[in-house]
Amino acid sequence: MNALTGTGIVKHFGGIKALDGVDVAIEEGKILGLVGPNGSGKSTLINVLSGFYPADQGKVDFGGADLLRLGPHEIAGAGLARTFQIPRPFRTMTARENVALSYMFGQRRHSLAAARRAAGQWLEFTDLEEVGDLPIDQLTLHQLKFLELARALATEPTLLLLDEVLAGLNPTEVEESIRMIQRIHDQGVTLVIVEHLVRVVTALSSTLLVLDQGRVIARGHPEVVMKQPEVIRAYLGSKWEHA
Amino acid sequence: MTTRGKALIGFAVVAVVLNLVPTLVEAFDAPGFYVTFMFTAFFWIAQAVSWNILTGYSGYFSFGQGAWFGIGVYTTGILAVKHGWPFLLALPVAGVLAGLSGLVLGMVVFRLRKLGGEIFALTTLAIAFVLASVARLYSFIDGGRGIFMTGTPLPEFLGDFRTAMFRMTFVVAFLTVLTAYLLYESRIGWGLFAIRDDEPVAHGLGVPVFRYKMLALGINALFGGLMGGVWSLQIGFVTVDDVFNIRVPLFVILMSVLGGMKHWMGPVVGAVIIYSLTDRLNSAGLEDLNQVIIGGLLIVLVLAVREGIYLRLRERWKLSLAVFAAAMAIWTIFDLATSLIWDFSYASLITVGVALLPSRRRPGESEPPSAGVPQTAAASDRSPP
Repeated sequence: MNALTGTGIVKHFGGIKALDGVDVAIEEGKILGLVGPNGSGKSTLINVLSGFYPADQGKVDFGGADLLRLGPHEIAGAGLARTFQIPRPFRTMTARENVALSYMFGQRRHSLAAARRAAGQWLEFTDLEEVGDLPIDQLTLHQLKFLELARALATEPTLLLLDEVLAGLNPTEVEESIRMIQRIHDQGVTLVIVEHLVRVVTALSSTLLVLDQGRVIARGHPEVVMKQPEVIRAYLGSKWEHA
Repeated sequence: MTTRGKALIGFAVVAVVLNLVPTLVEAFDAPGFYVTFMFTAFFWIAQAVSWNILTGYSGYFSFGQGAWFGIGVYTTGILAVKHGWPFLLALPVAGVLAGLSGLVLGMVVFRLRKLGGEIFALTTLAIAFVLASVARLYSFIDGGRGIFMTGTPLPEFLGDFRTAMFRMTFVVAFLTVLTAYLLYESRIGWGLFAIRDDEPVAHGLGVPVFRYKMLALGINALFGGLMGGVWSLQIGFVTVDDVFNIRVPLFVILMSVLGGMKHWMGPVVGAVIIYSLTDRLNSAGLEDLNQVIIGGLLIVLVLAVREGIYLRLRERWKLSLAVFAAAMAIWTIFDLATSLIWDFSYASLITVGVALLPSRRRPGESEPPSAGVPQTAAASDRSPP
């Protein structure tokens, strides 16, 4: 059973095809790892699925609805949430208020009073209770990344897209974040993770999708996929380009 | 009791007390300009607070207040004078027409993808210019001849002209502030704050951004127009140049910025302070220096108190109230000024000084980032290829 099925997704930026006919299937209750060199289209795919960028072509079935025809708030209402690689908290609100806001809107509507009461549970889940009421500029990057998770979870999603949760964290924080991702998954949320640390994605995901220049070049079991010659070439090729 | 319950009782008390003012002024044989002073303050409060519902809450900077105000003025002018409608029947039409104009503007500008804040600001500025030319061109609106509002009949239960103005401006200002408060303490208000902070993120978390922006703009225009409708009477002789100028949009911006745009109460405080100051400067015969003084004060206060003076005063609300009461007492008892309005203006100005005390919260003083975490480390793969 697929939580989401996308076919032939195309996204241009001017003359550049960021996504060139991508097919993606996300199995319910599983973790899909999205990998590929810089500029391969991973983040663009996240942005298209969550409605941040309108797609040029394609169809994405999510619980019977075509996501590409919905606005971002309707996509949230359908049960899909995402995080940002560079945290984007609401800066005039505290962490608790950030979480309360996404609970109020999110998948189902709740009143402000209910949201204020409920916000604590996600702060607790992400270990942010202590800093919940501080001004947002007093949180560390690690805490802001967890706030991204707390805020996304407060929308009560069935599918969660995680865009580089680990980028910029130190090794201890990376370990903590990996445990957090597993805890989220244990709650029954289907996950898509975009990650540069191949070791981590391979360990977490049940399926990998490898993108290169906007196309899917491989998909399947992580250990098998990472040994395929196209995948190795894509990674090494990108290294040479950027050297 | 809930915070909202308490606040609503507060609103009711303020309403009752303020409505006693015209009666008290009459009973004590106090000068009638006390009433005029207050209803002019109500005018500015409604204009500033309604502007802030759009700009302070949602972050979309508007120069359009003059347009909503002008639509209101001309609607009651045309209906009540040219067509002989009862004034109180023309008044709601003024509000509705201004509100609908706001929604039409919203339909156009908020539908544009990637609308920059600058484009929105410029569009709202242009609206007033367009309306002014239309009013000048068509004689069924103005046609360059103006509209005489003096002598417009008002229902008797409203009392004499001053009292009637007081009652009508009060009702509009009260409804505006109440709406601003109720929004502030609701899901919709929070949705708007999220739009102000980061609209795409708010949208992605489920905030119906288009609908909410339309609502904020509609409410802003509705109350701006409603108060404009009332104000046509005070203007007396309505002309295009007097109505569609930069005065209203400029003043609501100054008032809200000074008072603070992030709290529903900020523009109320800003409106009272700036209005009483300009009024006193005018009455002291300093019209020419007026703008220099107000401008200077604004620069000092905005640089010293970024979040607006209301939030600062609230941090030390006991001290603020005490300073205000003491200044009022000193000025009244020693008879330092010629009227209560002077006493009030001096006392407010002195109270503003409390806002200049250093803030207790130090938002700038954040903890150093945790060891080994460069804040810029996550820069890769952010922009589209």
